[in-house]
Amino acid sequence: MKEVRVLIVDDSKVSYMMLTKMLEKTNFKVCGYAKDSEEAVEKYQIHKPDIITMDMNLPDRDGIETSRHILKLDPNAKILMISAMKDVSLMIKGRAAGIRSFLQKPVDPNEFIDTLLLLYQNEMNLHTILEESYIKPLVKIFQRELFKLSGLQGKMMFEETRDVDFDVTGTGVIIGLTGNPSGRMIIYATDITMIEFARLVLNLSDEEDLSDEEAQDAFEEAANILMGNYISKLNDLLKDNEIRIAPPGMISGNKIRILNTKLKSFKITAKTRIGDLEMSIGFARRQDEWM
Amino acid sequence: MDVKFVNPFINAITTVLPQLGFLTITRGKLSTREKAMPSLGVTVLVGFTKSVRGNVAYNMTTEAACKIASTMMMGMPVATFDEMAQSAISELSNMVTANAATNLASMDFEVDISTPSLTLGDNFSVKISDIQYLVIEMDIDGNLIEINMDLH
Repeated sequence: MKEVRVLIVDDSKVSYMMLTKMLEKTNFKVCGYAKDSEEAVEKYQIHKPDIITMDMNLPDRDGIETSRHILKLDPNAKILMISAMKDVSLMIKGRAAGIRSFLQKPVDPNEFIDTLLLLYQNEMNLHTILEESYIKPLVKIFQRELFKLSGLQGKMMFEETRDVDFDVTGTGVIIGLTGNPSGRMIIYATDITMIEFARLVLNLSDEEDLSDEEAQDAFEEAANILMGNYISKLNDLLKDNEIRIAPPGMISGNKIRILNTKLKSFKITAKTRIGDLEMSIGFARRQDEWM
Repeated sequence: MDVKFVNPFINAITTVLPQLGFLTITRGKLSTREKAMPSLGVTVLVGFTKSVRGNVAYNMTTEAACKIASTMMMGMPVATFDEMAQSAISELSNMVTANAATNLASMDFEVDISTPSLTLGDNFSVKISDIQYLVIEMDIDGNLIEINMDLH
């Protein structure tokens, strides 16, 4: 997920500091702060933020009035109203003005991040969300862990492989994903590449022996480490869902067909000097999601 | 491997399958296995997380998979394990696993299940555990489904 820039409008510096603190370690970055209505309009034009958090009570004009001004300048501005009072009439007035979401003070950090995420995601093509939030971090982690585990520099590529079945010849590690969304991933390589990779992971010299089974175990463990890292990063990034990984399973043979039915899937390839290490990750499609 | 996880799966099969049009469902032998199993042709892998972790692999021949798919589609002839049949088997494993998960929950084991991975091939092996695990054979109107389970 790319960095999402947030402008905070609040007459209380303490509120500003608290909200900023909540967004630390997330992909939301506070790009500016305005303490009153006039400054809010000015800072909006300077920073062009992705999202604005708007306090209701500002010294010069109220939050709804300020939002109207900003929305006149940019009808696509995404505004989250944060106020001490969250009554229905305020919400109706706010919605009529074009405010997208409302939160009440004191703001719960998780709710805050969820609301920002929703506000941001609603505007994006769902495919882009999946790619930005789920796949791009995975490509980076794949590359990093590959290097950490084996010293291999991978040239990374990824593509969407919707409904395209594929074959595995060699060894594949299958790891189920549960939570929201659920899914599965398979990391696979030819046996020659898998064995070479295992030798690097285990740091074996040319004289040292390695059985096929030991090589597969090392490959499985590497896949497990990679996925563990990925999922914890994902859970950190997308605070609204907790995804877990099942223990790894393994397939081995020639031309094993893997079906992608009902999955929104991506293929990631790491091209290395010992051959390609490939990964297919698929997320379950639900009725109204990922379509 | 704990034998107490066997019944939730047997119950799931004997509950779900009659609703899909299968008539005679009997439990075959229960055995253990170590290391990799040969795929019979169609193997569906499902991962478990939360209070019970592990994998379950439903293993069957392509022929059995076609016959099972045919029954699920009201007797429509299924000559090859095509997309429709694949979807039926995928759905079947989903339903059985979800039902088993409910049974586990009633035993106070909260579980979450992954999307099933459907794998096909003439000659491949599947490994779900490094240690001993259980294999339950189920006879579904004369078709064998082997449930390999490694749950902890």
